[in-house]
Amino acid sequence: MAVTDLRPPSGGLRARLPGAAALRGAASRALLAGPVISFAFVLALWAAVGAAGFVPETIFPAPWSVWSATAEMWANGTLQKDLSVSLSRAAIGFAIGASLGVSLGLLTGRVAVIRMLLNPFLTVLRPIPAIALVPVAIVWFGIGEGSKYFVISYTVFLTVWFNTHHGMEYVPETYLRASRSLGASKPREFLTVIVPAAAPYIFAGLRLGVALAFLSLVAAELSGASSGIGYRLQEARQYIRTDRMFSLLIILGLLGAVVDLAVHRIGKRLVHWEQS
Amino acid sequence: MTAQPEGHVRVEDVCIRFDGKQGPVTALAPTSVELRPGTFTALIGPSGCGKSTLMNAIGGFVKPASGRITLDGAPIDGPSDKVGVIFQQYGLFPWFTALGNVRFGLKRLGLPKREEIDRARAALDEVGLGAHAGKYPQQLSGGMKQRVAIARTFAFGPKVLLMDEPFGALDAQTRLVMHELLLGVWQKHRATVLFVTHDVDEALLLADDVWVMSQAPGRLIRHCELKQERPRSFSRSGSDLLEIRDEIIGLLHPRSMLAEPA
Repeated sequence: MAVTDLRPPSGGLRARLPGAAALRGAASRALLAGPVISFAFVLALWAAVGAAGFVPETIFPAPWSVWSATAEMWANGTLQKDLSVSLSRAAIGFAIGASLGVSLGLLTGRVAVIRMLLNPFLTVLRPIPAIALVPVAIVWFGIGEGSKYFVISYTVFLTVWFNTHHGMEYVPETYLRASRSLGASKPREFLTVIVPAAAPYIFAGLRLGVALAFLSLVAAELSGASSGIGYRLQEARQYIRTDRMFSLLIILGLLGAVVDLAVHRIGKRLVHWEQS
Repeated sequence: MTAQPEGHVRVEDVCIRFDGKQGPVTALAPTSVELRPGTFTALIGPSGCGKSTLMNAIGGFVKPASGRITLDGAPIDGPSDKVGVIFQQYGLFPWFTALGNVRFGLKRLGLPKREEIDRARAALDEVGLGAHAGKYPQQLSGGMKQRVAIARTFAFGPKVLLMDEPFGALDAQTRLVMHELLLGVWQKHRATVLFVTHDVDEALLLADDVWVMSQAPGRLIRHCELKQERPRSFSRSGSDLLEIRDEIIGLLHPRSMLAEPA
């Protein structure tokens, strides 16, 4: 078993003094082992159900059917095109929403007048789900790219704003006192004390924002799109291509997880002091 | 450096109140005290007696309800770089290295970058942390963090230095080292120091003046002037230090001593 393989032979000197690098390697392998076991388990179960053949393929396709549907979409080029269209929508929507969210959060967090004017309004907007906004977006921006960017950036914006705002509110008093007693000017205090102190919250907001960009992407594409993962899902429904649906859903899940992990890693590096 | 002594703090009839849930609470009863230029004053009292409140008022963080506080004749109306503060929880910025923290305090001098770095390094060398300039606060021990804070504050030359139980989170051994280090740096820079503590021994080993504060609402109830040579120790500095110690301990704990069965 993988778990026993990780341990150095017992009894010898190496068993008592394992190198730090070996320990770290073992730890990261153990960390990977969890997901691998989980996926292998689900895949095996899925394959068993498929092999037994008592569920029709159109209801619940077997893994190999999903795999060949993926290969088919890849071969005729639709998968690559859909992916690039969807990812660029998510990226542009995220960029717009996140930059607006951070900027406005910095403002509402520090300027009382702006906070008073905007916070109650933004708080009422927050519970409105992205999908409910699609009809309005189509009326405002048509069925082109504009409405997709709008829906995605709107969702991302609210979450990023909310987290940034709260990060700004909870800047520890000691930091402000230290900064003022060290004679820092207001702009310098803002840039080198308040923003870094709020950075962990801002990054938490950005990470949530990325997840929401994926969620609202599909919502935006399900109505009024002619390409993209969400559109392709809709199309697969018309032809009852359940195998394609499964393929696209799995790709969405994997992509989301990879992007989330990447953002998490970047955030950890940038706000390196938040580890302990 | 000017020839005239600077860092003269006068606290005149200062009273401080906070808004509590059941109306205003007096944190500091009307108090007058003087910190003579270049002296080391310790303020000692039970927890919650208002000694930190008095310190925060001198730091400009808290506005007195009545009375006035002046520094070299000018009223204190907010935090300024003339008054340096050292916090129990260090107050270091975790996103800057030790060097970056010291440089933060030097920024307002508008020095060329090279000179700013050199001065920050010199300040860290002075507290024995030259080798750790590139480390982040979370990579340093409690004592080292407080040394960075001391370097950061002394580096830009404040006239007054307020220290709020600065060594309260450190173990006894580290504390002794820090006392020595603080006295060394202070004797070189000669700022007026106000040192808040609840440790009687610490106050007696360090200060020229010791003020004892009563339970809340705080009042100053006893003043001792200490003329013993530094570095002091209870074995070397004579029996009068021990007598003062007993007296202050008696002042601080009369009620708890009665309440406890002997």
